[in-house]
Amino acid sequence: MKVETMQQTKLTARNVDVYYGAKKAINNVSIDIDNGVVTAFIGPSGCGKSTFLRSLNRMNDTIADARVTGEILLDGENIYAPDMDPVALRARVGMVFQKPNPFPKSIYENIAYGPRIHGLAPSKADMDGIIESALTKAGLWDEVKDRLHDAGTALSGGQQQRLCIARAIAVSPEVILMDEPCSALDPIATARIEELIDELKDTYAIVIVTHSMQQAARVSQRTAFFHLGNLVEYGDTSQIFTTPREEKTKDYITGRYG
Amino acid sequence: MSNARLSGAAQGNARWQTPEAARRIARRNAAERRFKLIGLGAIVLSLAFLALLLVIMLKNGLSGLDWSFLTGSDSTDPDVAGVWGATKGSLLTMLVTLLLSFPMGVLAAIYLEEFAPKARWIEWVEVSINNLAAVPSIIFGLLGLAVFINTLGMPRSSPLVGGLTLALMTMPVIVISGRNAIKAVPPSIRDAALAIGASKMQTVFHHVLPLALPGILTGTIIGMARALGETAPLLMIGMRAFVVTPPGGITDPSSVLPMQIFLWSDEIDSGFVQNTSAAIIVLLVFLLAMNGLAIYLRNKFEVRW
Amino acid sequence: MILTGVLLAVLGLGFVGWFAARGRARLLHTGRGSLHSMPSYHGWHVVLWIVIPALLAWAAWSAIMPGLVDGAVMADPAAAQLPADAMSRAAVVSEAKAIAQNPDQAAFNPLAQTLAEPVRAAHQRFGLIGALLVVIVALAGGGWAFTKVRANYPARTRVERAVMGVLLLASLMAILTTFGIVASLVFEAGMFFKDVSPIDFLLGTHWSPGSARGDNLGESFGAVPLFWGTIYIGAIIAMVVAIPLGLMSAVYLTQYATPTIRKWLKPVLEILAGIPTVVYGYFAALTVAPIFRDFAASLGMANPSTESALAAGVVMGVMIIPFVSSMADDALAAVPRAMSDGSLALGATKSETIKKVLLPAALPGIVAGVMLAISRAIGETMIVVMAAGAAANLSANPFASMTTVTYQIVQMLTGDQEFNSPKTLSAFALGLVLFIVTLVLNIIALRVVKRFREAYE
Repeated sequence: MKVETMQQTKLTARNVDVYYGAKKAINNVSIDIDNGVVTAFIGPSGCGKSTFLRSLNRMNDTIADARVTGEILLDGENIYAPDMDPVALRARVGMVFQKPNPFPKSIYENIAYGPRIHGLAPSKADMDGIIESALTKAGLWDEVKDRLHDAGTALSGGQQQRLCIARAIAVSPEVILMDEPCSALDPIATARIEELIDELKDTYAIVIVTHSMQQAARVSQRTAFFHLGNLVEYGDTSQIFTTPREEKTKDYITGRYG
Repeated sequence: MSNARLSGAAQGNARWQTPEAARRIARRNAAERRFKLIGLGAIVLSLAFLALLLVIMLKNGLSGLDWSFLTGSDSTDPDVAGVWGATKGSLLTMLVTLLLSFPMGVLAAIYLEEFAPKARWIEWVEVSINNLAAVPSIIFGLLGLAVFINTLGMPRSSPLVGGLTLALMTMPVIVISGRNAIKAVPPSIRDAALAIGASKMQTVFHHVLPLALPGILTGTIIGMARALGETAPLLMIGMRAFVVTPPGGITDPSSVLPMQIFLWSDEIDSGFVQNTSAAIIVLLVFLLAMNGLAIYLRNKFEVRW
Repeated sequence: MILTGVLLAVLGLGFVGWFAARGRARLLHTGRGSLHSMPSYHGWHVVLWIVIPALLAWAAWSAIMPGLVDGAVMADPAAAQLPADAMSRAAVVSEAKAIAQNPDQAAFNPLAQTLAEPVRAAHQRFGLIGALLVVIVALAGGGWAFTKVRANYPARTRVERAVMGVLLLASLMAILTTFGIVASLVFEAGMFFKDVSPIDFLLGTHWSPGSARGDNLGESFGAVPLFWGTIYIGAIIAMVVAIPLGLMSAVYLTQYATPTIRKWLKPVLEILAGIPTVVYGYFAALTVAPIFRDFAASLGMANPSTESALAAGVVMGVMIIPFVSSMADDALAAVPRAMSDGSLALGATKSETIKKVLLPAALPGIVAGVMLAISRAIGETMIVVMAAGAAANLSANPFASMTTVTYQIVQMLTGDQEFNSPKTLSAFALGLVLFIVTLVLNIIALRVVKRFREAYE
C-alpha cells in the first residue's frame, strides 16, 4: 500500500499523436507517469522524445502549426480540454530547457517572476521566503545568497541551469519536465544537477529527456524508449537496461545505432 | 489506492481551484485580450491614416487627371498646367542617378564583400556608408550646392546636378543591399568555381554576381523610388524653377514631379488643389509601379539556399 | 561637339583594338595550355590601354585648356581695351565666354561682343589640338599593348588588376562623399562664423536673419528657437505618435499575427514609409493642420495659426511608424526563443511574457531604433516646410507655429540673394549642426544595435 501511494499516476497519455503541419512526429503514444519517481525518455535524436515532452505542458501551443490529438490527463483532467487554461497548466507542470535560459535580470528577479505573475507572494517577506526555499532546494542558495541582485546571466552554465530549476520550483509545480537539462554542461555541473534531480523526485514527478543512456540509468526509476515517433518500450529502468523485451531497445542500448 | 490517488489530485489542484485563483486567472486572461487588441488597434490606426491620405488625394485629384494634364507643362493657369514637363525632368534626373549610382554601388559592394582587406581604412569606408545612408537628404542638397554648382560651376536647376546629388544619396543604399545580396550567395558556389580553376575575379563576375543580381536590383529599385520622391535636396540646388517647356537635355533647367507638387501646393488659386492632388496620384502610381516591380523581382528570383 | 567626337573616337578605337587583339591572340592559340590568358583578355587588355590613358589625357587637357584659351584671348588686339582693374576685367571676359557659347545672347558690354569671336576661335583651336592629343595617346597606348599580345603574356592578371583598381575607386566614393559633405559644411560655416560668433549662434534666442544689419549680426542669428522647434516637433511630438504605434504594431505583427496576416499587413504598413515626404507635407497642410486649428479654436485659443507644430509633428510621427516598427521587429526577433519559452513554461500569459521578458530584453535594440527614428525626424524637411511655419517661437504650445533647422536652411537658400551673405552662409552652419547631431545619434545607435546583437549570438 505504501508503495502504491508513492507511485500513484500523475500524468496519463492515451493515444497521443503530434503533428507538425502534415508531418506526424508522435504516433499513438500511451503512457502513465507516476508521482515520486524520475521517468526518463531515451531514444535516438529525432525520435520525438522532446516533442512528446513539450506536449505534456502544452508548450507545443507556441509552435504555429503543431497539433496534438488524443488525451493527456493530469490527475485525471484532460489538459487539452477547451476549459483548461494553458497558463494555469504550466504553473502546475514546469519545464527546464536544454540550454539554460535565465532572463536578462537579477537572480532574485529571475525567481520572483513566476510567483509574481501567479500572485503567490502577497508580501515582500513571502517572496523572500519563496526565493530562499527555491534556491535552497535547487542547491544554489549558498553560492548566491550574497549576490541575489547580480545578473542571472553572469553565473556559470551549471549555476544558470540550477537557477532555471529554482525558477521552476518557485511556482510549486507538481511535475517538472526537463529537456536534456545537462547537454550544455560540463561533467561536474552535470553530476550536481543529477544529484539535485534525485533530491527533488520525492516532491515532484520528474520527467527527463536525455540522449545519454548512462544518465538515464543513473537518475531514473522508469525509462521509456522512443523510436521514430513510437513508444517502443516502457518499464522499470533496471529492467529496460538489463532485460529489454524489444529487439529495438536492445539494439539501442547496446549501441547498435543512435 | 484509488483513494490515495484522489486525495493527491485534490491536493495538487487545490491551489488553482479556489474562486480567488479562478478570478485571478480570468483577470490575467482579460489583460491578455486587451493587450492583443491594443496591438491590433495600433496597426489599424496607422493604416486608417494611410487610407485617409489616399482617399483625400484621390477625391481631390482624380477629376483633374486627363490627357492634357499628363501631356502639358507648368503654367500660371491651373486649367492649362500639366505634369509632363516635371515628369520628363524626373525621368532625366533618375537616368543620371541610375547611371552613376548603380555601377558605383555594385562595384563598391563587390569590393567590400569579396576583396577588401581587413584594414583600418576599410572600416572607415563601412562607417561612411552606414552613416551616409542615414544622413538627412537636405545635407546632400547642401553638398550639391557647394560642390557641383558653386565649385564646379555646373548648370543650376539641371537634371545633371539633381541626378548627381541624388546619386550620392542613393549609392549607399545600393551598396548596403548589394552587400547583403552578395553575402547571401553560399560559399559553396565560390568553392565550386575556384576548384575548377577560375580566378577569384572570374568567380565573382561569372557566378556570384549573377546570383546576387536580383537582390541587388531589388535594392536599387527601392533606392531609386526613394530618390524619385525626394524634394529637399533638389530645393537646395534650385530645381524649383518655373519651367514652361519640358527640358530637352540633362543640362536644361527643369523641375521634377515632387517639386511640381511642392510648387503647386503653394499656389493661392484653388484650381491648383486639384492639380497638386492629381500630380500626387501620378507620383504615387510611379512609386507603386517601382515597388511592385521590386516585390515581383524578389519573389520571382528569391532562392532558398 | 568636340567632346562627343573625341569620346566616340576613343570608344571606336577601343572596339577595333579589342577585336584586333583577340584575333591575334586566337592565332597564337595552338592547343591546350598554349596561351596564358584567354584571347578575350588580351582584347580587354588593349581596350584598357586605349581608354584609360586617353581619358587621363583628356582630363589633363581640360584642366589646362582654359588657361591656354585665356592666354590666346589676352593676346588678341581687342583685349588691349579691357579695363585695368581685375574685377571688371574678369566680368567682361566671362561675359564674352557666355556669348561665345550661346551667340543669341545680347551683350551687355560691347567689348564682350568683340571678344566673343576670339574666344570662340581659341576654344575651337585648342579643342582640336586636345582632341588630336587624346587620339594620339589612345593610339600609342593601344599600340603598345598590342605588341604585348604574346602566348605567355599574363593579360588576365593585368586586366584583373585594373578591374580591382576600379572596384577600389568605387568603394572610395563613400569616403569621398563624406569628406565632401564635411568639407563643404565646415568651409561655408567657417565663413559664417567669421561674421557671427558661434556662441551667439548656438546660445542666442533671437532668430531674425531678415533684419540682420551691420555689426549686430550676432543678435539676429540666435538659433536656439530653431533647435527647440526641431526637438519639439521631431523628437517629442513625432515620437509620442510613432513610438507607441510603431512598437505595438511590431508586437502584434511578431507575437500575435498569424504568418498569413503578417505577410499582408507588414508590406501595407511599409507603404507609409514609401510615400514621399512632399505628399505628407501637403496632406499635413491641407487636411491635418485645419483640423488641429479648429480644435485649438474650440478650446478657446485666440487666433490659432494654421501652421502648427502639432500638425507637422503628428504627420511626421505617422511617417516614422513603419521605421520604428521594423526596428522593434528586428529587436524582438533577436531575443532568443528560449527566453520567451522560459517565461511561458512558468505559466505566464503571452502579454506578461512580452511586457516583462521580451520588451526588457529587446530594450537596447528598441532604444537604438528610436534614436535612429529621431535622427530621421529632425532631418526631415518637406513636412515642416509645408506645415510648421517660419516664425521662430520659443514656445511649448503645440498649436503655435514653430520653425525648425531644416525649414530655415530651405528658407535661407531659396530666394535670390548673393551666395556669400551671412544669411545664406547661416544655412551651412545650421546644416553642420544638423549633420553632427544626426551623425552622433546614428553612430551611437548603430553601436548599441551591434552590441545588442552580439549579446544574443
